[in-house]
Amino acid sequence: MRDEITLQTRREFLRHTVLGGALSWTVPTFLANTFSALQAEAADQATQTTTGRDGTILVVLQMAGGNDGINTVVPYADDHYHRARPRIGLAEAKVLKLNGEVGLHPALTGFKELYDSGRLAIVQGAGYPNPNRSHFRSTEIWQTASDSTRFERYGWLGRYFDNACSGSDPTVGVCIGHQMPQAFTARQPTGVSLDNPQNYRFMAGGSSRPGQSGNMEESFRKLNQPEEDANSGATIGALSGPVRHTGSALDFLERTALDAQVSSDKIRSIAGSVQNAATHPGSQLGNSLKLVAKLIGGSLPTRIFYVSQGGYDTHTNQINTQERLLKDLGDSVSAFVEDMRAQGNLPRVLLMTFSEFGRRVAENANGGTDHGAAAPMFVIGEKVKSGLLGQYPSLAPSDLFQGDLKFSVDFRSVYAAVLESWLKTKSEPILGRKFAPLQIV
Amino acid sequence: MPADRWDFTTAAHLLNRAGFGGVPMEIGRLAVMSPAQAVSWLVDYERIPDNTTNPAWAQPDPERAERLRAARNASPEERRKLVQEMQKNQREQIVELRAWWLQRMACGPRPLQEKMTLFWHGHFATSAEKVRDAYLMWRQNDLFRRLGTGNWLELLVAVAKDPAMLIWLDQAQSRKEHPNENFAREVMELFTLGEGHYTEKDVTEAARALTGWSYDRLDEDFTERPMWHDRGEKTIFGQTGYFDGQDFLELLVARPQAARFISAKLWNFFAGTPPSPELTDALAATFREAGNQFKTLLRTMFLSQEFYAPSIIRNQVKSPVQWLVGSVRMLERPLPPPLVCTGLTRNLGQDLFAPPNVKGWDGGLSWITTNTLLARYNEAATLLQGDVAPVAGGALANRPNANRQFVRRMAQLRIGAVDAGKLFTEKQRESVDALLPALERRLLQAQFKPEQEKVLRDYLGGQPELTDSAILNAIRLAMSTPEYQLT
Repeated sequence: MRDEITLQTRREFLRHTVLGGALSWTVPTFLANTFSALQAEAADQATQTTTGRDGTILVVLQMAGGNDGINTVVPYADDHYHRARPRIGLAEAKVLKLNGEVGLHPALTGFKELYDSGRLAIVQGAGYPNPNRSHFRSTEIWQTASDSTRFERYGWLGRYFDNACSGSDPTVGVCIGHQMPQAFTARQPTGVSLDNPQNYRFMAGGSSRPGQSGNMEESFRKLNQPEEDANSGATIGALSGPVRHTGSALDFLERTALDAQVSSDKIRSIAGSVQNAATHPGSQLGNSLKLVAKLIGGSLPTRIFYVSQGGYDTHTNQINTQERLLKDLGDSVSAFVEDMRAQGNLPRVLLMTFSEFGRRVAENANGGTDHGAAAPMFVIGEKVKSGLLGQYPSLAPSDLFQGDLKFSVDFRSVYAAVLESWLKTKSEPILGRKFAPLQIV
Repeated sequence: MPADRWDFTTAAHLLNRAGFGGVPMEIGRLAVMSPAQAVSWLVDYERIPDNTTNPAWAQPDPERAERLRAARNASPEERRKLVQEMQKNQREQIVELRAWWLQRMACGPRPLQEKMTLFWHGHFATSAEKVRDAYLMWRQNDLFRRLGTGNWLELLVAVAKDPAMLIWLDQAQSRKEHPNENFAREVMELFTLGEGHYTEKDVTEAARALTGWSYDRLDEDFTERPMWHDRGEKTIFGQTGYFDGQDFLELLVARPQAARFISAKLWNFFAGTPPSPELTDALAATFREAGNQFKTLLRTMFLSQEFYAPSIIRNQVKSPVQWLVGSVRMLERPLPPPLVCTGLTRNLGQDLFAPPNVKGWDGGLSWITTNTLLARYNEAATLLQGDVAPVAGGALANRPNANRQFVRRMAQLRIGAVDAGKLFTEKQRESVDALLPALERRLLQAQFKPEQEKVLRDYLGGQPELTDSAILNAIRLAMSTPEYQLT
């Protein structure tokens, strides 16, 4: 028997009226325990439990546009590197050396500190067979973890939700941004995306005057309460009653409407009350991670957060653009790690970066680089096996494929590691087949 | 369809599914016809004149060859500028194209023709994100409109030779030395048969048969390249011959599964739920007997008793496009400006001309998440009160720069509010008791649950009088319910 309440039970709990009218989030422990006991037999063992106070959290950070991995983790000691990049190559004296061969881009001081304190793993040469150079398609491949010759309908995180979080609260996955990433696409739509907590709600508009009769907000709430919740006179006995599953579209919509209200209330309440414990940069990424830090601090029952940073498509004048972006990346992630540490949540948070592809080894005529293939991924957290993982792909012209680095680590073995060792779930049903997990965590 | 069940509710159901719904008067006009007449009005749409003009740029670009040559000869710096300029134009034209099509759906004289065009766009899901050419996207759209209710083989051949499709699934580059299997695979898996009804060998052999079907960038048209075609013998579905693309597509359409597959998909699109195996067989038989003509299949579906079963009526989640077009029609308001339309539908998860992948939109319940549901509720305010704030977020998450631009441009837009005076008569506005049934009839063509009706009644009753703004607020509330998301 478990002593915590699963997300599924939490929602059924709400639907079954004990707290219905109030739409309150917090479940008194004695009720939770009682309910747990009542539902223990029926509980789906595959469903992961999430209380928001323990359990591991994954933060996925997308570097959109195709980051030039070669100038991010720089093979500064390699002559091939300097020959291929006479204009944009970074001099040995500038890079933040990790060992005698490679170093970080000078703007990544934040990552260097994380590396030195044993919190940064760098997966070198991450990619996949038959690489595709289209942003659209290659992003899709990373988001769905598919072979480049196949199309997968659902995203890899969506399949995690389907396989391991069925019946969960929608906030089991939270994307900070306007749109849900393809990675979240699931058979059973799950997850919440928001750019600003204030927009994630029913906006009654100017005509709403709180406290007056005819209040829009109040009417809206009543209209979107499934009927059971309108009945506030239910007793605890109702908990053991049968669950209504008519399976109709209306039933599904009603449940989603309730979820929307509950998660909206919760997210806005956390965003308005939790204080950040570190100073975050004012950039879009900085603000995204700042909000994630608040939501973690406020115990939102989330397993996956998703944030993104764009602008990496550096076909021209790469030097300045990439420097600005990587500084933002390093500073934002360091601030987030500091916030997590101060909260005491760092041991249960892992952050992983990816970009749809790296860039061509040789620079182009415009002081930039064109779409390429393999590139490094960063995995950050207190429990990572800090250091350089995998092989840095050779830059020797004879070792390249159409001018691109050949991958040495299939990115899906990184996903497999994150799923198995961090989220503690079987990776095979999610990734479609067995990928040997990289030893990261 | 027994004539005694033909009434306002069933007529509304037909118009909602075979088109984009209508105001009570339009539904009433169908309800007084016989079922066969009503279905014929929708299906035999050629009799209705359509004078819609095409976008000005929807034609081959006479200066294209010159432009491409100029780009080739330009310095890298200039070429970059040219390419950027062209891509910007393309993006703007796609926004325009989206609005052009939505306008046809909202106001065009042939609802079923547009509904079928929408079906085929989701079926042969092609994205401008890869094709990057608004003219070619328009051309494919026009193809669906012209051939969408005709013959299966004719449509399939036209789609296989359609420039946007040739680019989208890489057929344009496929040559005998290294056949590209992308189109060959998807045409069987997604377009005609479904997984499990062909072998890997069929895919590789079909890809060989299709080699040489390509795209001419200068003419912006299909071309056959004899030098690229594999003239050897191929074995497809157990038959051997010196097949080319046409032969392969004929073999494909001759498979009984091809009729079953497309009949079932059409039923699911219109009825909102997959057909039973028996119903699939019956529909496929009708389709084959009619010489694989879609028009006959559609007529049969819309006149079948099954289509009007209680489990079918008002049990389909509106797609974002259905939600927008249907709401605009129901509210008798003009379609918002192109950029707003793009934002509205994108927020709800359906960006026309940019489906998420070659499988198209999942549809059904997957349209609904907590986000998209809240977005629908808030976008109702955009349509009713002209408040564009809920739409401003509808930019691409991966393009922060484009985002800022989009938000800035949105902030400058103002769209009009709904004219409540148009929607209800003086008599209906006299009392809450008179207004509520009229509101239900207009919004749902069904009744709200008693608890919900009470909320609306209390809201309206709490207002000093039934002003336009009180009525628009009540409509906003009614649109912000699970019920309104169904059709």
